[in-house]
Amino acid sequence: MKPEEALPAARAAAAQRDAQLPAGFAIEPTERVSIAQFVEWAAIEPDPSAMRSTRPLGAPITFLKRQLLHVLRQYLRELEAQQTRFNLNVVARLAELEERVDKLEQRAGERERR
Amino acid sequence: MRVHQVLSGAGRYDAVTTQAIAFRALFTAWGWGGRDVAANIDPRVAGEIAPIATLQPAAGDLLLIHYSGYAPRLRSVLGLPNRKLLISHNITPARWFWDHDPMAAVSCALGRKQLPEFAAAVDVAAGVSLFNARELGSETVIPILFDPAQAGAPGPEDGPGPPAPPTILFVGRIAPHKRQDAVIRAFELYRRGHAPDARLVLVGRPVNDTFESAIRELAGELSPGAVTIEYGLAPQQLAERYRAAHAFLCLSEHEGFCIPLLEAFHFGVPVIARAVGGLPEVAGDAALLLGEGDDERVAAELLALVASDAQLRAQLRERGARRVAAYAPEPTARKLRTALESLGKPNRSIG
Repeated sequence: MKPEEALPAARAAAAQRDAQLPAGFAIEPTERVSIAQFVEWAAIEPDPSAMRSTRPLGAPITFLKRQLLHVLRQYLRELEAQQTRFNLNVVARLAELEERVDKLEQRAGERERR
Repeated sequence: MRVHQVLSGAGRYDAVTTQAIAFRALFTAWGWGGRDVAANIDPRVAGEIAPIATLQPAAGDLLLIHYSGYAPRLRSVLGLPNRKLLISHNITPARWFWDHDPMAAVSCALGRKQLPEFAAAVDVAAGVSLFNARELGSETVIPILFDPAQAGAPGPEDGPGPPAPPTILFVGRIAPHKRQDAVIRAFELYRRGHAPDARLVLVGRPVNDTFESAIRELAGELSPGAVTIEYGLAPQQLAERYRAAHAFLCLSEHEGFCIPLLEAFHFGVPVIARAVGGLPEVAGDAALLLGEGDDERVAAELLALVASDAQLRAQLRERGARRVAAYAPEPTARKLRTALESLGKPNRSIG
């Protein structure tokens, strides 16, 4: 078979076989981040298990890093709270503005139609 | 002549740093001086790449900016009076990262905004592919310097091919836009329909632990024991993976150039890929390119054809060798030298 003939042959075979795509984790691009998604991201929740050593035989370093997180937990909570407060307020304001723009656009459309 | 290379980021395994180091070797061979600096540096390459703050070019020195991602400190370079050549290595659209690596998404989003501003401020803007160059409104292409001699020797040309079982390979960062999830699905369909003993090898460093876990979990669910994920391989080990592969399957949704494509051609591995970005330009007629509506089912059938049709494999191998020749290091080095020498002369434009 010539390379130019392979794709049409494969398409025909795939159509004939009509197999189902296996389920499970599938990646989709985020074309436009919705306000609901912003709200979810705004309340930050860092995963402590992501704190680890990438070195070979790094288990003791991972242990120390996690202990450090534990020791600093009051300060880190304060940091998270302040950042989340800012994020949520910005998102709330953004949602208000979006709603306002929608209303203004609607009114402008009605005026044009009159 | 002195040429300083400025990188947005320098890492141990990234293609841009490898490229800058290869360019530096050329400059040294041409008797040119200069330094290589970066805005963000992985400590493992700190011996080869210096911090951007240490860049102090003399009047008449040229700056070669490798742009591959947002770096706020890079802006300071634009203010320097030296003549500048920018090479865009392409930035992945942020939409692939928001859900899986927010910081990478921010860097991509800002980088894609910053890049046109940089392209407008330099004397010459180029891309590693025409696809990249045109994103900047340029037609100047300085491709990736790919040296087959560095990649390792391919397997015997007329032999029976790699030993069974059928092995499918993909090389590239484990990242959302590379769509390893789709590769695993296509592979599983191929395994179910044609080759139950087939194996899939994914080579690439994951963007983060969470994403790696998700990909590993999917592989474990769909094709238990049949998928291997590896990274940090030495060049000889990578060459072995290519020599053992029956097909190279790339289902990336975004590629500026795709060096592994040339590596696969060099090792005589048939390539099946999605026709996106700069990939069709690099692949020419040497790869089986999937169209926009072709999903993993079509990719699986192409895998079956490639594995079973010796004539198809031989033709793809022959065409692949021609693509490697088209990207030989000598003409690329000449293009680079011409671009830089023209830039060194006042009032000369480069086409």
